[in-house]
Order: sequence, then C-alpha cells, then structure tokens
Amino acid sequence: MEWGRFTSNSKTVKQLLTLLAVLFAAPICAQSVITGRVIDKQNQPLPGANIYFEGTYEGTSSDQQGNFKLVTDLEGTYELVVDFMGFETHRTSLEMPQKEVVLEIVLKEKFNELKAATIAAGAFEASDTKKAVVLRPLDIVTTAGASGDISGALQTLPGTSTVGESGKLFVRGGSSEETATFIDGLLVYKPYTSSAPNTQVRGRFNPFMFSGTVFTTGGYSAEYGQALSSALLLNTNDLPAQSELNLSIMSVGGDIAGTAKWESGAVTANVGYTNLAPYLALVPQNYEFEKPIAAVSGAVSIRQKVGKSGMVKGYSTYSRSNFILSQSNSEYDNGILRVDLSNENNYTNLTYKSAIGEKWVLSFGGAYTLDGDRVELNDAHYSENLEGAHVKASAIRQMGERVKLRMGTEWYRKNYGQAFSNEQIDAKNDFQEQREAAWLESDIHVTNKIVARVGVRGERSELLNSFNVAPRVSTAYKVNEYAQVSAAYGWFYQNPLDEYLIYEDNLQFERADHYILSAQYNKNDRMFRLETYYKDYSNLVKFAPDVPAYANSYNNSGTGFAYGVDVFWRDKKTIKYGDYWVSYSFIDTERDYRDYPGEAVPTFVSKHNVSVVYKHWFNRLRSQLGVTYMYGSPRRYNDLNQPGFNEGRTKSYNSLNMNWSFLYRQNVIFFASVSNVLGFKNVFGYTFSSTPGTDGVYDQKAIVPMADRFFFIGCFITLSRNKEINQLDKIND
Amino acid sequence: MKTVFTLLVSLVLTGTMLAGGPEFQKAMGSALKQMSAANSIDDMKNAANQFERISKVETDQWLPLYYHAHCYIIMSFMEREDKDLKDEFLDVAETSVNKLLEMQPENAEVHTIHGFMYSARLVVNPAVRGMKYGMLSGQAIGKALKLDPANPRAQYMNIQNEMGQAQFFGKDIAPYCAQAKAAWEHFDEYPIVSPIDPSWGKKELKDLSESCK
Repeated sequence: MEWGRFTSNSKTVKQLLTLLAVLFAAPICAQSVITGRVIDKQNQPLPGANIYFEGTYEGTSSDQQGNFKLVTDLEGTYELVVDFMGFETHRTSLEMPQKEVVLEIVLKEKFNELKAATIAAGAFEASDTKKAVVLRPLDIVTTAGASGDISGALQTLPGTSTVGESGKLFVRGGSSEETATFIDGLLVYKPYTSSAPNTQVRGRFNPFMFSGTVFTTGGYSAEYGQALSSALLLNTNDLPAQSELNLSIMSVGGDIAGTAKWESGAVTANVGYTNLAPYLALVPQNYEFEKPIAAVSGAVSIRQKVGKSGMVKGYSTYSRSNFILSQSNSEYDNGILRVDLSNENNYTNLTYKSAIGEKWVLSFGGAYTLDGDRVELNDAHYSENLEGAHVKASAIRQMGERVKLRMGTEWYRKNYGQAFSNEQIDAKNDFQEQREAAWLESDIHVTNKIVARVGVRGERSELLNSFNVAPRVSTAYKVNEYAQVSAAYGWFYQNPLDEYLIYEDNLQFERADHYILSAQYNKNDRMFRLETYYKDYSNLVKFAPDVPAYANSYNNSGTGFAYGVDVFWRDKKTIKYGDYWVSYSFIDTERDYRDYPGEAVPTFVSKHNVSVVYKHWFNRLRSQLGVTYMYGSPRRYNDLNQPGFNEGRTKSYNSLNMNWSFLYRQNVIFFASVSNVLGFKNVFGYTFSSTPGTDGVYDQKAIVPMADRFFFIGCFITLSRNKEINQLDKIND
Repeated sequence: MKTVFTLLVSLVLTGTMLAGGPEFQKAMGSALKQMSAANSIDDMKNAANQFERISKVETDQWLPLYYHAHCYIIMSFMEREDKDLKDEFLDVAETSVNKLLEMQPENAEVHTIHGFMYSARLVVNPAVRGMKYGMLSGQAIGKALKLDPANPRAQYMNIQNEMGQAQFFGKDIAPYCAQAKAAWEHFDEYPIVSPIDPSWGKKELKDLSESCK
C-alpha cells in the first residue's frame, strides 16, 4: 500500500526527480556576477547590509566600504533584496544569467518614531520604555526631599516654584489650581490630601502605581483642558510581573499590598495606616498637634487583557484621615485657631483600551471622585463636599506611518458645596457644573526631522453658559541625532475657582496663552534643555472686597503675564555610579486678579529657583545615597505695615535633603531620609492681624514649616515565590 | 525504478530526520561556521545575515531565527561603547526571539535565548537595569528549566544568574562553581539530534566553574 501510494502520485515523483537533478547534476550553466555598493542618501557606505535573492539562500553582506560581490548560478528572474537595520528594504528585479551587473543601491532611512523629531516643548516625561526621557519613573521615588511624593519630585524640575507651605505644584507663575492631574487620561478632582491652612499636602497617589508620567509646563495637547498652566499625566502600570506580597513598615505607619497575577490579568489590593503620633512624640514641631495626623486607606486595582490587544484597567481607592492642630492666630479671642479636620475621599477609575485593526486605537474611560472635608474651627463648623465625574471616549487613527490623528469627546460633571455655621451665621452655598468637550489633533511628521502637532479643543460649560475654542500648535525640528529645537503656542481655558462659583456664576472662562521656545541636546546619558516662554493671562477673576464672599462683586477683568527661562542639565555619565541633575528657573510675573489693587507679583512666586539632585550607588554597600539641594529666591508677601501691595520680601528658601536606601537582602530594603539636614529656618510668608494694634501696627506672624527637619525610616519587604525580587526594582528603573 | 524509490525513500527519511533537507543543513552549517569564526561585529553581522536569509526561505524552521538572535546578542556584548547601539542590536534580537516564542512556545532552547537576551539588556546598564532584567531573565530561564531540566544551556544561564545575585549580596559563590562544574561534566550526556542544534555552553560552563579560583 505504501509503495502504491507513492507510485500513484506521479507528480510527487517528478518533483522529487527534479530535486535530485538539481542536487546531483553538476551545473554547467553561466554564472552571474553582481557587484555593487550600498549607500545612504548622504553617500555614506552602509556596511553589513544583507543582499540576497528572495526565496533562495544565496546572498552576501556589504563590507566596510559598502561594497559587495555576489556570484550566482541562478537562472531566471529573481528579486535582489537589500536589507539594512533602520532602512527601508530595497528590491531590484534581475534576469539571469548576466555576465556582469554593477549596482549602486541607495537606501532610504526608515521612518522611526523613536528617532524622529518629537513634540517636546513644555513636556517633561518619565518613562521606562522610551529612551530619550528626562526621568525614569523611579527617579521620582529616589529623589531626596521628595518623600516619595510625585509633586515633591517634580518640584526639582525647572518651571516649578517651591511653595513650602503648600506642597502643591506651582508652574511658571501659575497658582496650584492651574495644574490639572489626570490618571490614564481621566481627571482627578482632588489630587492632594487635605491639610490645615499653611501646612504641606501630599499627592494622594503612590508613585509606584505609574510607569509613565508626563509633566507639562505648558503648550500641551488639545486632549486636556481646564488647566491654565500645566497638565500632569500619570499613566498606570500594565500587568505586574508576578504574584507577590509587599510589606512596608515605616516610622509613620505601615502598608500591606498583595498582588495575584494570572496569565492575562492581575489584581492588587492594599491597605495602609498612617499615624504621626509616635513620630511627633519624639520630634518637636513648630505647630502643636492636639491629635496628630492619622489616616487609613485602601485601594484595589484590576488589570485584565481582553482579546489580543485590549486591556481593562480598574482602580478604586478610599481613604479617611483626621487631625487636630492648634495654630496661634491673633484673629481669635484666645489667640488660638484650633482646626479639627476630617477628610474622606474616594476615587474610582475604569478604562478600556484596544486596537481595532492595524490603524485604530480606541479608549473609553470613566472616573468618579467623592471628597468631603469636615472641619471644626474653634466654635464654627465648616464642610466642603465635592462630587465629580468624568467620562471620555477617544480614538487614535494612524494614517500612514507619518500622520497620527487623535480625537475624542468627554463629559464632566461636578457638584460642589460649602457650608459654614457658627453662632451668628448658617450659610450654605453650592453649584452644579456640567461641561462637554471635544478635540481633534494631528501629529504630522513632515520629514524625519520635522514634526508638527496641530490641534483644536472646544468646550462648553453649562454653568457659565459659555463656549470656548482653544487652538494648540506645537512643532519640533531635529537639528541632528542629538539636538532638537521646538516651539509651541496655544490657548488654555479654565473655569473660575470653586470658591468663586459658589457665590457667582455670571463669569467667563479664565484664559492663558502660551508661547514656548525650547532647545534640547541629548547625547550619551547627558541631557541639556533650555526653554523660554511667555504667558499671557486674561479674563482672570477679580473680586472686591478682600475675600471671596457672598455679597462681593465679581468680574473677569483680571490680567497677568509671566515670562522666564528654564534650564535643565542631567548627567548620568561623568561620575561612575553617580547621576545628577541641575534645574534653574528664572521667572518674571505679575498679575492683577483676585483683590489685587493693580498688577503685582503673586506671593507664590520666586524669581530664581535652583535644584541640584544627586544620586550615587555604592556597589559594595549595596546602597544608594541621594542628596537634593533646593534654593528659592525671596518671595513676596503683602506687608500691611508698609506702603504698596505685595511689596514685602521673605528671606530666601534653602533646603538640603538626604536619603539612603540599603538593599539588605534580595527582598528587603531599608530606607531612611532627612529633610533640611542643615536646619535652615525657612519662612514662607507672613500673616497679619486684620486690625492694627493701638500703636497702629498690624501684628505679623511668620508662616513656617511644621518642623525644620523631617526624619523618615522604613523597611520594605517583598515576599514571592521568586526570591530575587524586592521593591528595589521599583526604586531602580 | 526500484532503486530510484529506495533512494527517494532514504532521501525523504534523512530529510525528515535532518529537518529542512540537505540544502538547509548545508546552509546552516556554513552560517554556523561563519558564526563560530566571527571575532568582530562585522563578521558576526555577516553570519546573522546568513541566518536571516535562511529564515526567510525556511519559514517553519526555528533554528535560523534562534541563531540570528544569538548573533545579535553576542554583538551587543562585542560593542563596547555605544549603549544605544547595544540596545539597537538587542531590539533586533528581541524581534527574532518574539517570533521564536510564538513559533515554539514549549521549546526550552527558545526560553533560554529569551533569558539570555534579557541578561544582555541587563549588561547594558547593570546599576539601573539589574533588578528588572535580572527578574525577567530569571523568569525565562525558570520556564526553560521547567520544560527541560537537563538542558545544559538553561542550567548555565541559571547558575550564572544565581551566581551574579550571590556576588552582589557578598555571599559565597563556591556552591555555584560546583554546580557549574557538575553541569560541565555532564554536558556531553545531553543528546544532540542534529549537528545544527544548539550546542554551545560547554566552554561557558567551564569558565563559570573556574570563576571561584
């Protein structure tokens, strides 16, 4: 039977016979000799190009001069293919045999997004996957002085001012409310913890959650609105590497996190408890806590791959915190302001992202924030409630390899209310806001060296009964492999602050126009960046008299400007195991807004800001030392005992911070940090009594940090089946 | 006719045994020779080019891609200065490794070269990449050993990874030298079906076993 099957298939036999003939017959046919040179468009030789006849093994490689010689016995028409890493494949049809063929093959460089010019003006990116970025995600955690806080670390970048009594991000002459935070593209209404007046806040989110961060100091994409100065884009991690249990034991509390991973998804849950009582018992503070900060928090995050390219991410966190703090304050009868603050916060975020075919990427997402502050102020009660939602659908369409179109639409909802009561007053104020927005934007790589982003955003506010259109343009020219110049221009709109809208909704969007010029040089682990900008503020809210209140008059006649220069230098190369960056920002800004009598320098601005960050890895000690020095030139304050407005000047701000992390075992890390090691007595400004004393002088009181130094120690343990892993993979890259 | 058939059958059988047929074997043999003789990046690239040519014709064979990736990994070690170029070489290697993983998901050699590629990524910048790529390499090698515990190349990579960890933590590395020595002694017991199958690792194990001296 077996044989019969063979014989019956005479076609197979014929084919095999042909094969045999080819194999064993000594070929007596004419040889073809193909010689040539492989070069690029600049006439430079390309050595090591792969030159071969398609469908055969026959081929060769070009030599150092780009020359090649290929001798073949092939007969018939064949495609000669030339392949070279990073270049487009070249094909020539050749009919053989031919005696001698001489070819000059000019290869065209492939379009490579990673090597092409990139939109860079106004953006600082921290990423693991991209190459030429300013920061790695873990730089955020290992920066001394940042205390593992995202906004703390970003304050070592140029374009920011250190505002010690706030801890929030102040970007290029903008107030902290002008920076919006987005997680996976969705707005976070309350990115910071609640705090007493003039005490520092922290970001609510653990920096380990994010694998890509873009901090923009202006000129950002039309995808983002409602931020006059800056958008902070935090992108969460995809799938974790493995199942594990993380324990953190710290001088201020503890945290336990467990991750269960399966092939296509993972779930992580954590609970944490923070209590500053033991710490405050040991270290004296400038302010007196009757009840130190205590907080519980929990979070769950889920990742699930769907289909070939789809991913669902869900994240939900809940926290509640409380403290009672007494600050001396001459406004009150007993000279003391006692603040008893409780905060409850929930943030939930759900996204789905998937590629549809080769050309489309679709994303859908929704986020919900619920936040409530209850405050007892001496005998008064104050509460603040915020409920916010954001729903967004967006799409990216790749049109050829050089043009990318992005578009989307979104819907916002916000309910905000304040209530205040004491013996005399019982006031409640609130508003509801709804906004719809849409944007369209296109990235066009005109050549490998030139890229342009053109976008427009339209947004409508129901509350303001108003519509705005915001054009945004950004472009970059790549001078050579290492250098790039960029420019950006755009209009940015934002609603008036909640504290005005509860009293008055007959207002317009505030507006800022950005003009940015930037140059960047990036070679061999060294990066230099110089950026200059001009910002033009208009339609800022003004009110009278001096604090936002019910019967005040409000209008949009405020204006302002800011211009400055930001310089950034990072060098990971010169010092072995060492890595440092230096940021310098110069800014000149004035604005006429709020209750300002005219144009004046806002109190949150320092004309000169300097940060020097150094990190050194000691291989033998398995330790990393981090040192950060920060300087801010004197800030303004409104000295009631002097003529003029905001004419008082504080002394300059100085701080030297250090941290140390030690890899004790594969899965155990010890960490310690001290802020303001040298104990500079920093003053952020002054508060004044509302009425002058009998001598006609207003009482003044310095706004100082909670403590001159802050000490922190912690131990981080990772338990998993794979004993190699610890949380340092979170600290180092 | 009968003799032709005998010849054919024997040819077909040898062909099946030596997967890919004699032409393939010959071409692979020649590329492997070039690879083992290569002592510069250019030489190695030429060998890689040969493997690439073969892989484009023999789309169902995994060995050309395997060696193509191997060449590029070695090139990343040969490049001394330019870190970006090292990564570009490893990007090429990774493309081939990804194809291999899709083609042969249960092949220990494939997971070993996958781990090797991660180790090479680590070497580009150990201080920064140590933890992440050490972990990824460990995971890939773990998979390889699960599929084929006796595979000497997977054993070699595993011992090397663990020895590196021990060294970093200032622990005694003598046990790993002993492990390497044992693996080296048993190296030849691992069956090699075809002359073009992966067979490297003996010298590497020997060198590793001597690193305690």
